[in-house]
Amino acid sequence: MARDYYDALGVSRTVGSVELQQAYRKLARQYHPDVNRDPGAEERFKEISEAYSVLSDPDTRRRYDRFGPDFRQIPEGYEANVDAAGGGGRSSRGGSPFGGGRVWVDSDSGQGPGPGGIDFDDLFSGLFGSRGAGGPIPGADQEAELELSVEEAYRGGSRRITLSGAGEPASFEVTIPPGVTDGQRIRLAGRGGQGSGDAAAGDLYLVVRLAPHPRYRVNGRDISVDLPLAPWEAALGASVPVITPGGEAKVRVPAGSSTGRRLRLRGEGLPNPRGTPGDLYAELKIMVPRELTPRQRELFEELGRDSTFDPRRGR
Amino acid sequence: MTSYSLMRVSRLSLDSFAQRAGIHPELVRRLVALGLLEPTRDGSGRLWFAAPQLQVVARIQRLRAGLSVNYAALGLVMDLLDRVEALEAALRATGNRLPSNTVRSPSSMARCEE
Repeated sequence: MARDYYDALGVSRTVGSVELQQAYRKLARQYHPDVNRDPGAEERFKEISEAYSVLSDPDTRRRYDRFGPDFRQIPEGYEANVDAAGGGGRSSRGGSPFGGGRVWVDSDSGQGPGPGGIDFDDLFSGLFGSRGAGGPIPGADQEAELELSVEEAYRGGSRRITLSGAGEPASFEVTIPPGVTDGQRIRLAGRGGQGSGDAAAGDLYLVVRLAPHPRYRVNGRDISVDLPLAPWEAALGASVPVITPGGEAKVRVPAGSSTGRRLRLRGEGLPNPRGTPGDLYAELKIMVPRELTPRQRELFEELGRDSTFDPRRGR
Repeated sequence: MTSYSLMRVSRLSLDSFAQRAGIHPELVRRLVALGLLEPTRDGSGRLWFAAPQLQVVARIQRLRAGLSVNYAALGLVMDLLDRVEALEAALRATGNRLPSNTVRSPSSMARCEE
């Protein structure tokens, strides 16, 4: 689980302190849970913060280089003895065995008071208590995509959802409201970023993404579907079945309908928990048989001779 | 005999707000002075905070702790994050996908199990 600290920051083991800080700052901006809503970002942010807190302190970095991830278990004195035995005149600094230096406590010192003459950060230092060192801070909200088929969005209902990407895959029960639309967000209270200490967790929002469907084209709550027709059905009118997400429906095709005509089935689109449901549009598409029997060819030829209809002129 | 009100608290006094947020009341005042919190003032000048303002404090704390954003810059950072969020929501509403390099575009996927 614990990645190598250098790998976590994407730097080489010989990295200098400037380059190290640069790598850390860049990643911290990218993965801060208030900037990046991805559920995996929080874990990643903790990882790079931890890595930087160890590597930015020359003392802990040296210990990490020497003893690896278990360096905290090695007593300080052990290193001093090894150093002494090795005759390399380095002395291990006294002070905290864990290197103290928390990266996130960096104050904005060095900038001095702003033009207004008041340095707010000076004024405030201490008011947050031991900032960073564990004062409870509620967690941030997170977002993840939830891909649903048109049928799933139509039906809604209770589903088991697995969320990958945030370290351990999390699994939970989600109630999908019937008729969720593309881009709609489903809120899971308290499933977002963890708070520090006993502070509350943030919320997790599932952003619904409707998967492309082989037959249905969804626009908001309206659904369009192709309705193939034989030439004689289109010319004479017919009552034909059309498959909708809610099941099979009958469409009455008026006589004299051409390709492209849209027949509306009111309320047969995605349901709307808070209002009128969407409509379903059957878009007529006239198909002809690929091959004709001699008899059929004869009939079409006769029709052609008899008709004065020219689809390319006027309308 | 004590009676308890069942009414939900919709606004918080300065002190109870500071307590709920886990910060010093003086810091709350400073955040108000910086325009980072937006309380209402009653006739006697007392500050009242809506409960969702607690989330603003949490966000301020996270940005402070995680990125060392200073107080002067916090307002700008939060305004910009809010604008990004509003733009992304508008983009979503039109059914467009966000460019894949958008920092806040959710890349984690939740999946339905059969």
